[in-house]
Amino acid sequence: MSQTASLPPSPAPAIELRGVSRRFADPGGRLVGVLPTSLRIATGEIHGIIGFSGAGKSTLLRIVNLLERPDAGEVIVHGQDLTRLSAAGLRQARHRIGMIFQHFNLLHNQTVADNVALPMRIAGENPARIRERVKACLDFVGLAEKADTYPGRLSGGQKQRVAIARALAPEPHVLLADEPTSALDPRTTLDLLGVLADANRKFGVSILLVSHEMEVIRRLCHRVSVMEGGRIVEQLDIADGRIPEGSRLASWLSDFGAGPAASPSPAGRPDADTRHHFALEAAHA
Amino acid sequence: MPETTSLFDTLNELLPEILKATGETLLMMAICLSAAIVISGALGLLVFLTSRGQSLERFRAFNLVANGVINVVRSFPFIILLVAISPFTRVIAGTSIGPLAASVPLSIAAIFYFARLIEQTLRDVPRGVIEAAEAMGASPLQIVRHVLLVEARSGLVLAVTVLAVSFLSYSAVAGVVGGGGIGDLAIRYGYYRFQTDVMLITIVLLVVLVQSIQFLGQWAARHVDKR
Repeated sequence: MSQTASLPPSPAPAIELRGVSRRFADPGGRLVGVLPTSLRIATGEIHGIIGFSGAGKSTLLRIVNLLERPDAGEVIVHGQDLTRLSAAGLRQARHRIGMIFQHFNLLHNQTVADNVALPMRIAGENPARIRERVKACLDFVGLAEKADTYPGRLSGGQKQRVAIARALAPEPHVLLADEPTSALDPRTTLDLLGVLADANRKFGVSILLVSHEMEVIRRLCHRVSVMEGGRIVEQLDIADGRIPEGSRLASWLSDFGAGPAASPSPAGRPDADTRHHFALEAAHA
Repeated sequence: MPETTSLFDTLNELLPEILKATGETLLMMAICLSAAIVISGALGLLVFLTSRGQSLERFRAFNLVANGVINVVRSFPFIILLVAISPFTRVIAGTSIGPLAASVPLSIAAIFYFARLIEQTLRDVPRGVIEAAEAMGASPLQIVRHVLLVEARSGLVLAVTVLAVSFLSYSAVAGVVGGGGIGDLAIRYGYYRFQTDVMLITIVLLVVLVQSIQFLGQWAARHVDKR
C-alpha cells in the first residue's frame, strides 16, 4: 500500500456527471431510470445516494462506470470523459474504478487470493506485483489467513471484505458501492463501514455509495444526495452524522416514525441507533 | 446347436467381434466428442455471448441465425441425418461406409447437440459475476477465460458426460452404414438373429460403459466444484 498517494488537495472532482439521463421501461411498463442529473464528487469524498427503490439510485451509480450507458450527458471520472472512449479505452479506464455489490459477486470456484488477483490479471499486471497487492489488500481487510479458502466457506461479511480487497487491489481512483451492506446484519454492516472508511482515509479513494439504509449513510458519508423519481432532490453535508434539521431527508425520517432525525450517531457505540437502520426500507415495504 | 451353447461359450466365440465392436465404438466416440468439444465449445460460447444482455449482444444477428441452425439440425432424427448428409460424408471421409464415415454424421449431430448444452450451462453463471468482471474492464475473451469457464466448469464437465452417454447410444445407429460398434453388434446378432445371449452380453457391456462414464463425469464435476 506504500505507493498509494495520500489525499491530494486537488480541487478537481473525482467524479463529475453532467446532465446524464437514462430511461427504460421497468417490467411493469413504467418508465424509470435517471432524468437529466448532474453530480460532483470531490477527490477523497465519501458520497451517499439514498432513496426508495425505483428512485434511480443504482442506475445513477452504474452510469459512473458505464455499466449503464447514459442516453445523454457526460461522465467524467478522474478527468476523463468515459462516454467518448473507445471500447478498449473504456476497459482501460475501468481498471481504475473499483466496484462492490450487494451480493458480492465473487467467483466461487476461485480462492480468495485468486478473486482478489482477478482485476489485476485482467489489467495485465505482472505476477510479482499481483502477489504483493493481493497480500497487502487481504491484510488490509483482515483476511490474510483466508487467502487459500474458497468464498463458499466465508460468512457474508467476510465475502464483502474479499470484494473490497478485490476492488482496492488495482489502486482505484474511485470505489462504487451498490448497496454493499444490504445483505448483511447490522453488526456486520458496522464492521464493513469501518473498512470502507479506513480505505478512504488510508488510500484517499473516493467512494460513491448507494444505500436505502439511513444509518449507513449517516455513519459513513461526508455528503448525501437524496433521489426521488429519477432526480436528485436534495444534497446535504452530513457533519458528525447529523442530518440538518428542516431538510427533506430529516422530514422523511420523522414522517416514517424513525425518531428525531437529527440525533447524532455516537461513534464507538456499535449498537446505538440501530432502530434507524431499516427505517426507509420498512416505510417502503 | 445354438440351444445347448452356454452364455460363456457364446462370449468366447464372439470375443474377437466384441473387441472389434468396442474398438469401433470408442473410435467413433473419440472423433465425435473431440469435434463437439472443440467446435461447439466455440459455437456455444458465441451463442451465449451474443444473447440478450451479454457482452456481445450487438452481434445478436449471429445469435438468431445460429440458434435457428442449431434447432434445425437438432430436429433431424439421427438416422435421417445420417442418410441425408451421406454425399457430404463421402467428401469428408472418402467413403460413406465404416466407422470413420459414421463419425461424420455423429460429429455433426454432436456439435449442435453440445452447442445447445454449453449455452444452457453458461446461463447458470450468475449475471452479477459477469457484470463484476465487466466493471473491472474485462474484454469478452477475458470474461470467457476468467469467469465463464471457471464458474461453469462443473456444469460443463457434466454436459460432456451427458454428451458421451447420448452418443454412445447414437453410435448404435451407425451400424446402418456399416459403422460397427457395440450397438450394431446388438442389433445384428441379438435382434435380427434372435441371439438373446449376444443381446445380453452387449447390453451388459453398454450398461458398464454408461455407468463408468457417468461415474467418472460426476466424480470430475464434484472435484472441480468449489461452490
